[in-house]
Amino acid sequence: MHSPNRTPLVLSLLALVFVGLAAAFLTDSWGYPAPRPQIPLVDKALLDPATVRRSYRDLIKAKEDLSDFDCYGCHEKGHPPPLRYDENHKLIVPTEHADVVMGHGTHGRNNNCFNCHNENNLTTLQPRDGRELRLEDSTELCGSCHGPTYRDWDSGAHGRINGYWNTKLGPAVKKDCVNCHNPHSPRFPGRKPLPGPHPLRAPGVSEPTAETTSH
Amino acid sequence: MITAARNYLVFLRRCARIAFVGDWRYYTWMGVLTVVALFGLNAYAKQFAHGLIVTGMSDEVSWGVYIANFTFLVGVAAAAVMMVIPVYIYDNEELHDLVIFGELLAVAAIIMCLMFVTVDLGRPDRFWHLIPGIGQFNFPASMLSWDVIVLNGYLLLNVHICGYLLYSRYRGVKPGKWFYIPFVFVAIFWAVSIHTVTAFLYVGLGGRPFWNSSIVGPRFLASAFTAGPALIILALQVIRRVTHYHITDKALLTLRAIVQVSMLINVFLLVNEVFKEFYSGNLHVISSRYLFLGLHGHHALVPWIWSAITLNLIAMVILVLPLSRSLKYLNVACVLSIVGIWIEKGMGLVIPGFIPTPLGAVVEYTPSLNETLVCFGIWAFGLLCYTIFLRMSVPILQGRLAKANEGISEPGPDDVVEDAPAASHS
Amino acid sequence: MPPTVPTDPLAAAADAGMSRRSFLRTSAVLATGLAAVAASLKPLFEMEDITSAEQFMQKYYKELTPEDMKKVLARVEREVEKQYGIRPHVRDLKPMDGVEFAYALNLSRCIGCRKCVHACVAENNQSRSPEIQYIRVLKMPHGTFDVEKGDHYYASEKVPEKGFFYMPIQCQQCHNPPCVKVCPVHATWQETDGITVIDYDWCIGCRYCEAACPYWARRFNFTKPSIPADRINPNMSYLGNRPRRQGVMEKCHFCVQRTRDGRYPACLEVCPTGSRKFGNILDPESEISQILRTKRVFMQLKEDVGTNPRFFYYFDV
Repeated sequence: MHSPNRTPLVLSLLALVFVGLAAAFLTDSWGYPAPRPQIPLVDKALLDPATVRRSYRDLIKAKEDLSDFDCYGCHEKGHPPPLRYDENHKLIVPTEHADVVMGHGTHGRNNNCFNCHNENNLTTLQPRDGRELRLEDSTELCGSCHGPTYRDWDSGAHGRINGYWNTKLGPAVKKDCVNCHNPHSPRFPGRKPLPGPHPLRAPGVSEPTAETTSH
Repeated sequence: MITAARNYLVFLRRCARIAFVGDWRYYTWMGVLTVVALFGLNAYAKQFAHGLIVTGMSDEVSWGVYIANFTFLVGVAAAAVMMVIPVYIYDNEELHDLVIFGELLAVAAIIMCLMFVTVDLGRPDRFWHLIPGIGQFNFPASMLSWDVIVLNGYLLLNVHICGYLLYSRYRGVKPGKWFYIPFVFVAIFWAVSIHTVTAFLYVGLGGRPFWNSSIVGPRFLASAFTAGPALIILALQVIRRVTHYHITDKALLTLRAIVQVSMLINVFLLVNEVFKEFYSGNLHVISSRYLFLGLHGHHALVPWIWSAITLNLIAMVILVLPLSRSLKYLNVACVLSIVGIWIEKGMGLVIPGFIPTPLGAVVEYTPSLNETLVCFGIWAFGLLCYTIFLRMSVPILQGRLAKANEGISEPGPDDVVEDAPAASHS
Repeated sequence: MPPTVPTDPLAAAADAGMSRRSFLRTSAVLATGLAAVAASLKPLFEMEDITSAEQFMQKYYKELTPEDMKKVLARVEREVEKQYGIRPHVRDLKPMDGVEFAYALNLSRCIGCRKCVHACVAENNQSRSPEIQYIRVLKMPHGTFDVEKGDHYYASEKVPEKGFFYMPIQCQQCHNPPCVKVCPVHATWQETDGITVIDYDWCIGCRYCEAACPYWARRFNFTKPSIPADRINPNMSYLGNRPRRQGVMEKCHFCVQRTRDGRYPACLEVCPTGSRKFGNILDPESEISQILRTKRVFMQLKEDVGTNPRFFYYFDV
């Protein structure tokens, strides 16, 4: 059962609905994701591939002022400086060398400056076999005790190499131990990690979590 | 030759015109669907302009409701073939003409599938890259390339079969066996293949243990052959009510038998899956844990999956009992099955595959308003298509739109329909 | 009984009431309907990056002749200059003969500082908002490789934290890459030097590769990427770090613009502990070959998935 004269009414209503719909679409006021909060950019300085320390070799290359390394400016030749220890057998670092914090080996191992420095010639280093090494060749000294690490460093497995993997096309720049490790406190201090990821949808939320859309 | 072409064009023109003719209920229905489809089109325009950021998807959950609907609808399309088997293999006369309604539903479903896949693409302007010969088609390695072939092939198969049969009926001639029977048998195998290929899309991913399981394929088919015929049962009753086309209850009860058996298999496979996932305590089942129990405080899907299981179990019980012979209860069971399986295939299959990510992060997914509007829009468009198909085919099958009455006018409003007996088309 | 001609619904409708009023009414519905369709498409005007005819017709990377490629690179340079005000240098670098790259990461040394993550972002012109990062560092508790137990979002005051190790994960450039297998249009493939690359102008954005990757290494541009103009890296390559468009995939490509020039990738160059090792595995003297030869314990992530990555995790203490 139907009434034929409902059709004109329905069609007229439909035309009106379409007009309303067109108007609604032109206002375009729904369906866009909420503006996302700004993700701060990472400080470019943190991405600098330079090493944390500069080795003596770097200083020489850069022709820097090396007067700090003139040991006999203060010490007397022929008089090895005495070492002093406190009652816990902890080395007392003289105030003139206060920037040196001893931490090479736990439990007071390696508690003697002259395990590495040459007390008879303070401008050189001494591995235990009687050789004297220049300060810029300190890597050999480290390797004289840290054999496996030195072997890895030599083959390229330890420490970072910058530049070219294909040395036919450019130089591979290997670092010295002291470029990364403080020789008196070689263990790396912790550092603050760079920011973690900002997922587009935070767990449980459907709308994204970053910048404004162009609308 | 030219006459044949001209006749065909006249036929097409009359079919197209009849889509715009109807009573006020028809116009209301089509009007509502058009409005919803336009909301969907507008939502898609926003997505096209701004990208998939207007959806709820992310790198963690990179497929969402679009692919969930796609998966469900491929199953519906495949299930149309469930009517073909009783008719052509078991010679069931009751279902003869109804096969066309099932296949038209398959055509509408495939159109919706293709639309869902298109709206999911990040760069739909590069669709031509998929065309074999012109683009770079990664066949046979990529299961998506298989899907492109089987879905389009299935579409063409069904359009051909329905088109040929309807045009023959329109002309009042007996359809030539060789023009449709071989295609029908191909369609039976093809229907199984479209859903198996879609299942293999998921199964083939070794990095996602939730999907990389041999039960996914069989479960796809079992759930498709439950939800598809259930949809057809409901659609046939709507057709019967609105057009007074003659559909016997016996036809509906034959379909009921298919839904009943498929639902039993579907539930059995669910039991298998749950046992395998939870009995051994193996670590690869973390996605199942998320789905059924929640994970690290995230449990968005838990109520969904348990609702789906409940709906399916209730539907199964109703279907098994003789009381589902009564259409009232059968319809309830059908609706419960369709909803339950839609949830299972969507929330229960696609989303848990992404949670947690292969690296263990949990980011949940909720469809955005825009995404939902696009989905509703595509469903509305699919229903529009199906309604138009029926609007064209029912009068043809009833003989009211025929070559014989081209240009002849008769008084009386068109929609007072006489009870025309369903003519056999073989 | 005379045979009745069946009622034609069209003709009946034509007779039953196609007066001028109803014709006007029908036309009104059609016209307003079309107006609604047109209005619904208004958001298309907000599109910022409309595909030009040149972009639309561009051929697949492997089919570009050297002349085609010159034009394409010139086009890319023009577009980047228009967008960011900086004239880049875009090259198409080919793989070197006799080179197959591999990467090794020393889990004993990584401290989880995430410098690699951000150096990669800067080098490869990744979107800052929405944020795209190719490398994801997992903070793992001692004694397990189960990534479920990893923490992606750690914001400790100091790293490394006691009781944890840190595992950065990026594209593993697998020997048997699932992403290459599943891409329906061959937009991603593996080159002879082992790098799995993406032709950003060919990708259709279906994200099947993202679903297929067992290492969650691939990223999608959900909208137009935003890169601050002063952070653009103008040394670009076609398959590498040129800015991408909305709707395409991207991922770690071992810094093709650097490595095919013989240089180390950006992530390696910035690592403060030297945990990252890279080189030509076909050269027995390279540090990567030496590591894989001498270290007793090294592994591939998710080995059981069968991807055979070119990325190894090793230990020395």
